[in-house]
Amino acid sequence: MSELETNILVVGGGISGLTAATEAAEAGYNIALLEKTPFLGGRVSRMNKYFPKLCPPACGLEINYRRIKFSSRVTFHTMAEIQDISGQPGSYEVTVRLNPRYVNDKCTGCNACTEVCPVEVLNDMNFGLDKRKAAYISSEQSFPQQYVIDDNACRKGDCSKCSDACKYDAIQLDMKPETMKIKTGSIVLATGWNPYDASKIDNLGFGTSPDIITNVMMERIASQNGPTGGKITRLSDGKEAKRVAFVQCAGSRDENHLAFCSAVCCMASLKQATYVREQYPDSKVYMFYIDIRTPGTAYERFLNKIKDDENVSLIKGKVAKVSEDPATKDIIVEAEDILAGGKVKVNIDLCVLATGMAPTVGEVKLPADVKINENGFMVPGKDQKGIYAVGCVKNPSDVAKSVQEATGAALKAIQTVGRKS
Amino acid sequence: MAEATIVKPDLDFVKGVIAAGGESLKKCYQCATCSVVCNVTPDQNPFPRKEMIWAQWGLKDKFKGNPDVWLCQQCNDCTAYCPRGAKPAEVLGAIRKQTIQQYSAPAFLAGLVNNKTFMPVLFLIPAIILLITGGFSIPEGDIVFSNFFPIHTIQFVFTPALLFGLAVGVMGVMKFWKDMKQAAGVTSGDLKGSIIATAKDVISHGKFKDCGVSKDRFLSHFLVFYSFVALAIATGFGVLYIDIFHVMSPFSLFGKGWIVKLFGLAGAAGLLLGVSLMVMNRFKNAAKVGIGSYFDWLLITIIAVVMASGILAYLTRLAGIAGLAYPIYFIHLVFVFSLFVYLPYSKLAHLFYRGTAMCFAKYSGRDKTIDN
Repeated sequence: MSELETNILVVGGGISGLTAATEAAEAGYNIALLEKTPFLGGRVSRMNKYFPKLCPPACGLEINYRRIKFSSRVTFHTMAEIQDISGQPGSYEVTVRLNPRYVNDKCTGCNACTEVCPVEVLNDMNFGLDKRKAAYISSEQSFPQQYVIDDNACRKGDCSKCSDACKYDAIQLDMKPETMKIKTGSIVLATGWNPYDASKIDNLGFGTSPDIITNVMMERIASQNGPTGGKITRLSDGKEAKRVAFVQCAGSRDENHLAFCSAVCCMASLKQATYVREQYPDSKVYMFYIDIRTPGTAYERFLNKIKDDENVSLIKGKVAKVSEDPATKDIIVEAEDILAGGKVKVNIDLCVLATGMAPTVGEVKLPADVKINENGFMVPGKDQKGIYAVGCVKNPSDVAKSVQEATGAALKAIQTVGRKS
Repeated sequence: MAEATIVKPDLDFVKGVIAAGGESLKKCYQCATCSVVCNVTPDQNPFPRKEMIWAQWGLKDKFKGNPDVWLCQQCNDCTAYCPRGAKPAEVLGAIRKQTIQQYSAPAFLAGLVNNKTFMPVLFLIPAIILLITGGFSIPEGDIVFSNFFPIHTIQFVFTPALLFGLAVGVMGVMKFWKDMKQAAGVTSGDLKGSIIATAKDVISHGKFKDCGVSKDRFLSHFLVFYSFVALAIATGFGVLYIDIFHVMSPFSLFGKGWIVKLFGLAGAAGLLLGVSLMVMNRFKNAAKVGIGSYFDWLLITIIAVVMASGILAYLTRLAGIAGLAYPIYFIHLVFVFSLFVYLPYSKLAHLFYRGTAMCFAKYSGRDKTIDN
């Protein structure tokens, strides 16, 4: 068992965790950063563009990766899972399980293991829209640039093709999980969110046709390094998707699913509308909504810009039925156009369900004094010291808000540590 | 937006809807999921989303001559998919109750029937009427109900009760029809075709099959409906045998007037099954769609007591337990009388208003089924 002593522990290596870690480190504190998956970057690393500036998230991530890489104060561990947290503000003891990567840091990223690996599985980076090998790296921008062998997919004992192919002795198929104890003064929770499982919304047809997808899938489809190379096409037949409908509040603001507003989906769909409109000048986009929520002048301006596009129809009325036309293979969305006063059925090529943010903080075993509310988010207690929540641990948030909160949480964590020393 | 619309909310109407089982009304945030998942609404100006906002805002006048609330069969699909637990199906049910009160004169009787506190009075009135007219002395010898309460007295009391109920109902729907025509701006249509098409819908119970969540309601309603038809036939034959052929009750399956007994027993068995299913369905779906209001349960109770007292009176008569048979028969009479006299004020009035609304929807072209 290894031991590590640090000032602040940050749980989650997405944009919130990265920000909190680097901000606190640059203020002179030692940070341990834990990430459950094999790579840092979290949800943001799967995005095509940020709203409202429509710039690529990769550059923002890259800056943070560099800050971590060249900082002597940040130690990060991927494939790390919290098993237990005990203690109190100023002195926590955290037990962490480090799952085996089967690839050590001699890896140069040469791709030889991937080339020879005989096992193919659904690619989780792309939400199962394509396949990847059991020996893989999530993308060319991944950090660390160190391959990983998928524990669930690898045949292990009866195959050693990857380790035979590796010229650098980087592959160790006998690697075992390890336990690590971390002593820390404060904890920042930045475990993020999961896309809500669209198959639970039985009237929206997810799973009945490959052309009914979710908004996070749309990000991958529009991404250059995604399953279609950035071309927005129907997944069923590869045809250009020129008629696209966005179904807002797919599960959000719905007490049968997520009782709260997921805060980002309206802007996300408006942003994705631009992907379609830019790619196909003769495309037609429909967005069905209950209310369009774009708070603040920047977001409002973004909405108004989209509104001016006559090929984008914003229709007030929630879609409550999505089906596939058996003859034409079109997707049909049904809603009541409230302002026009009648039911509408629209035939489209691609239906994007704007699914919301399901909280993840409940998956971490937390001390008893940390309160989780009925929606699954952490309630920042008035007297809560020592453990701080950031971004989607507290509320559904977009990147801008998460980053601001992460900076704030870094300061809070520093205050807790500072009081002690 | 140059012209201002002045909204005049009728707060008493809103309170009335909330009190009648629509307490979830204010939760609605107008997403229109309900209108889309509804399988029975027309595509143009669909319900129940618009009814929800009218009711929230207390726009009572919008419901004057509105057939839509009656086209709703309370399948509860809308309630099951409602993201806010606003229970549109329950709200429309509460609005229907308000419509009954609005159209079935005199209004105070409708108020009496729909007020929980007056329930004892509801059944005390028929009991007193029957006590005064019937005399009631428990006769010696074999149990014969007509010795206890003469058949002709029954005819004398129950015929006016039924005629009263029917007359109030018919007057109500005539007013309702006029209002619907005015509200929809419809002046003419195919009345005969509409009536025939509506009758077909009622006879087949076809519309029930469009329902999703509460599909099982088809069977229970079908059973209760046709049991009453059977009982009406039994009553018709009863009058024929007693007054024309001078065959005295009780009838038997193996003697003259067997047909009366046959329909009577079939109706009783059907009611027993149908009412039991109705109650079971309500409990089964309670978590998702609500248990129902006082208004719903009053009618279920009246029908259940009519059914149970009818069957028990028959069985105790056969068993020769006079001490039970006669009092139970009295209860039976009280509840049958209640069913008749409260016909246009209780939930049973849906027979008039829903039938008329379905007919009007076809007449006005809102329901397209008679065009093809």
